[in-house]
Amino acid sequence: MFRVAIEMLLHDKTKYLGLLIGVAFTAFLVSFAMSYFAGFMTRGFALVSENPSAKVWVMDSAVSSAEATINMSNSSLDIVRGVQGVEYASPLYLGDMTARYANGHFQSFQAIGVDNATLSGAPKPANLLRIPNSVIIDSGGTDGKLQTPIEKKDMWAYNGSHLNAVTRKLRYGDTILINSKRVVVAGVSHTIPRFPPRPLLYTSTSNFKRLIPGEKRYITFIMVRPATNIAPEVLAKRISKQTGLKAITSSAFKKETVMWYLINSEDVGDMVNMVVLAMLVGFGVTGVMLYMFTYENIKQYAVLKAMGASIKQLTDMIYTQVFIMAVVGSGIGVGISAIFGESISSASFPFRIMWFAPFIGFLGVFIVSLMAAFISIRPIKKMEPGIVFKL
Amino acid sequence: MSKIIASCKDIIKTFNSGEAEVKALQGITLDVYGNELLMLVGPSGCGKTTFVSVLSGLLSFDSGVCKLMGENISAMNDDELTTFRGKNIGFVFQAFNLLPSLSAIENVALPLTVASRKRAEALALASEMLEAVGLSGKEDVKPSGLSGGEQQKVAIARALVHNPKFIICDEPTSSLDHKSGQIVMELLTKIIQEKGASMIVVTHDNRIYKYANRIVHMEDGKITKVAL
Ligand SMILES: Nc1ncnc2c1ncn2[C@@H]1O[C@H](COP(=O)(O)OP(=O)(O)OP(=O)(O)O)[C@@H](O)[C@H]1O
Ligand SMILES: [Mg+2]
Repeated sequence: MFRVAIEMLLHDKTKYLGLLIGVAFTAFLVSFAMSYFAGFMTRGFALVSENPSAKVWVMDSAVSSAEATINMSNSSLDIVRGVQGVEYASPLYLGDMTARYANGHFQSFQAIGVDNATLSGAPKPANLLRIPNSVIIDSGGTDGKLQTPIEKKDMWAYNGSHLNAVTRKLRYGDTILINSKRVVVAGVSHTIPRFPPRPLLYTSTSNFKRLIPGEKRYITFIMVRPATNIAPEVLAKRISKQTGLKAITSSAFKKETVMWYLINSEDVGDMVNMVVLAMLVGFGVTGVMLYMFTYENIKQYAVLKAMGASIKQLTDMIYTQVFIMAVVGSGIGVGISAIFGESISSASFPFRIMWFAPFIGFLGVFIVSLMAAFISIRPIKKMEPGIVFKL
Repeated sequence: MSKIIASCKDIIKTFNSGEAEVKALQGITLDVYGNELLMLVGPSGCGKTTFVSVLSGLLSFDSGVCKLMGENISAMNDDELTTFRGKNIGFVFQAFNLLPSLSAIENVALPLTVASRKRAEALALASEMLEAVGLSGKEDVKPSGLSGGEQQKVAIARALVHNPKFIICDEPTSSLDHKSGQIVMELLTKIIQEKGASMIVVTHDNRIYKYANRIVHMEDGKITKVAL
């Protein structure tokens, strides 16, 4: 009977191909959207990923993402350093700065201030930040925002801005102004792009304070490396308990950040809605197509039933057909999504295939196929085999 | 005539389609004997198809008793009835009803496949049957590659491959031209004689009356005349 089921499925090549494309498209859509989403979320916690040795992150107790932050008191660093099991703790200062370019244009940056002594948290070669008044800039997933004029005459011109001057990319040795203070570009880094994209500016603590004076509290995060004999989870709990600050492991912080985006970010909300909609449409189309396929063949099932095929034999046939469709279709879909996604993955297009993308792609298709099969079986159970005479 | 293969008593069947109520069978009583070819004739809508559907366990009925090979089919549940039908009854339809995706030989083998017979065995029997209906050489042709007459021959082979006791044909010749119709009827007559089965043939085609052992006339859901 399996053979009969398969022959029936493959008989009408156009219909089979249509079904296959439908199923593959759904699986593609789902796994592609999930990977796209995973790509964005990975960028959402780029700051955490960028500092792999910081196994524990300390922050104000109200902070629940790497994106929306408030600073802690300046004494918190010493307090955290005093907790037993903390091998090493360094501060991270986050702030917004607006820079004036040589041609008069301006650009806002997310400034990341790193510990003077160790420069931990800065991209390599971090040593460049030892140059006085220096910064390392990074496009952070943006395009064409780090520009300076090509010609000397268009730079810091006495007669005002040269906004239409031809520009090139900022590079080592260029200067920009922040809060009317001169800053030297010591390097251009290419760290993990951000979500949402924004240009980044890394600098030392002392320079950070020079550029944004007057703030009472500077420390946004404290990155902690635990001693070798203590698990990050344990240390995080201990720090929380002893300091009243929030301390969590880096992996927990990444998860919290993703959750935060899901709840708070309109962009992500729109994206999720679109993904869900696409999935529903894909699933709906696939389900209906599978159902129609069975329904169109109902005469054949009636003939089989007249000849003694039991309901179980008929339902097994339908499950066989649906199973084959689901396996072949979702295999193709997930495969195409992987190839396509990887090939267009870039700074402006995040794509990250995590285990759940193909998994949900397959699972979604299987659930929908099963549902379609289940619904398709109903008319077959109900049909009066007497209809064979009326065909 | 020998023993009774099928026996119906006072069968009543009413269709309720919305408001309208159609009394399709209004008390049919009929016995079918072993080895006979019985023709069922009558005007369109008189209930012939309904009657053979009941008689073959394909359609439930409101009241009356229907026994096939001595067994009361009303007492069987759907699965039992399906198995019973698969074992004991062969069907030939006006529209052939071959599975378009299967080759001629696979179509013929279907009743055996449904009964879970081994594929090689089923194909061997199907091949013999195809030869018996004069279609050797066409084993691997799909229905779309066969003429109407050939398709009906495949259907006949399929109806007989599992040696059923009782064969039901609803207008087996009305989709065929005169010559093919005669050939099909000769084939059916010959085979039931060889196999010793009984057959009911529903027909409008008076040119095939000559093949009948008995002709049962129906009108308005009732049997009006039985001619020998
Ligand atoms: N499934 C059904 N639902 C409602 N009414 C039906 C159904 N099947 C048959 N009927 C009605 O029952 C009556 C008998 O139909 P049946 O098909 O048995 O006639 P028939 O003698 O086979 O006719 P024909 O020679 O045209 O095939 C008709 O009036 C028909 O409309
Ligand atoms: Mg009829």
